[in-house]
Amino acid sequence: MLLTGNHVSRGEFERGTGWSIRPEGACRGDLCVPLTGVGQSTDDDVDVLPLAERLGMAVIRHSDGLAAVGPASLGGRALNSAEAPELMLPDFSGNDFDLRSLRGQKVVLVAWSPY
Amino acid sequence: MGAEAARAYVELAGPEHPSLIDVGHLVDERFGIVNIPNSVWIDEAGMIVRPAEPAWPNVPEAAVGDPTAEGAPAPPPGRMGDMMAAASQIVTDRAPYLAALRDWVEKGGESEFALAPAAVVERSGARGLDESAAAAEFELGLFLHGSGEVDAARAHFREAHRLAPDNWTYKRQAWSIEPSPLEGPMARFWQGPLPGAEAEWAYEGDWVKDANGIGAANYYPKFQP
Repeated sequence: MLLTGNHVSRGEFERGTGWSIRPEGACRGDLCVPLTGVGQSTDDDVDVLPLAERLGMAVIRHSDGLAAVGPASLGGRALNSAEAPELMLPDFSGNDFDLRSLRGQKVVLVAWSPY
Repeated sequence: MGAEAARAYVELAGPEHPSLIDVGHLVDERFGIVNIPNSVWIDEAGMIVRPAEPAWPNVPEAAVGDPTAEGAPAPPPGRMGDMMAAASQIVTDRAPYLAALRDWVEKGGESEFALAPAAVVERSGARGLDESAAAAEFELGLFLHGSGEVDAARAHFREAHRLAPDNWTYKRQAWSIEPSPLEGPMARFWQGPLPGAEAEWAYEGDWVKDANGIGAANYYPKFQP
């Protein structure tokens, strides 16, 4: 997730990282990490740096106005749980497609590139 | 990069399934994909039953002539010949992958190829702070390249390569947007220094060097039941 400051809205944090901020903590699927001592987040304000540290997300700064937050590294594996992560991507017409819309059928998600 | 790089292939194939554009490599980050083609199998309840692994279509493998085989025509000189030699060594485990996929489609959770949640997480690849930092470096590289800051982008791509040396996506993406002496759809496969300009290549590795470095036969991990 790219950052132009140290604060984003809760929605931006969720879309950018796949982690949602709930009363019980930062959650992805059925996994929740308590945020005791990390500070309060509101709908409009998430202080990213302490949250990133709690979730094991590296923060790389390019300049004063541009940084990027890496994915969570809790547990040391790419997946924190077997529950499929949230994924919303556009099709060729620019319409967003939600992976969750395929619930109820088997899905083979294929990653491909012309390079 | 972007939708236009893929559009012609998708239109030619005319798939019935959704085709999504992932300019920012979000799928790699969320699912731990480090090379393509890769797949992730997800069951009806939204649970991953096989994490990222090499995935193959049910079509014959495109013939890549082994230029070292007896009677083979002489390979082109220079890097093109080196590329063909390395590509001919790549092993794609099509038959066992496709047999496993058919088995899962038929038997669902009873398939021996559908993994338990703990095994899915364990097989999903390493991700510590270095891999997290590599993903952030890569994202900065993509953004800066798209903004025309090519040198700044290369510096971040180099860091991503250093921090996550086994991630082919970070390498192939960065190398493939460098200038190529080839025209048309083959141009993006060059992924290395221009002839006579080796000293100006911005990266420590390139596709031929790195593929041969691990042994091109190991380029894709073998299918694991």
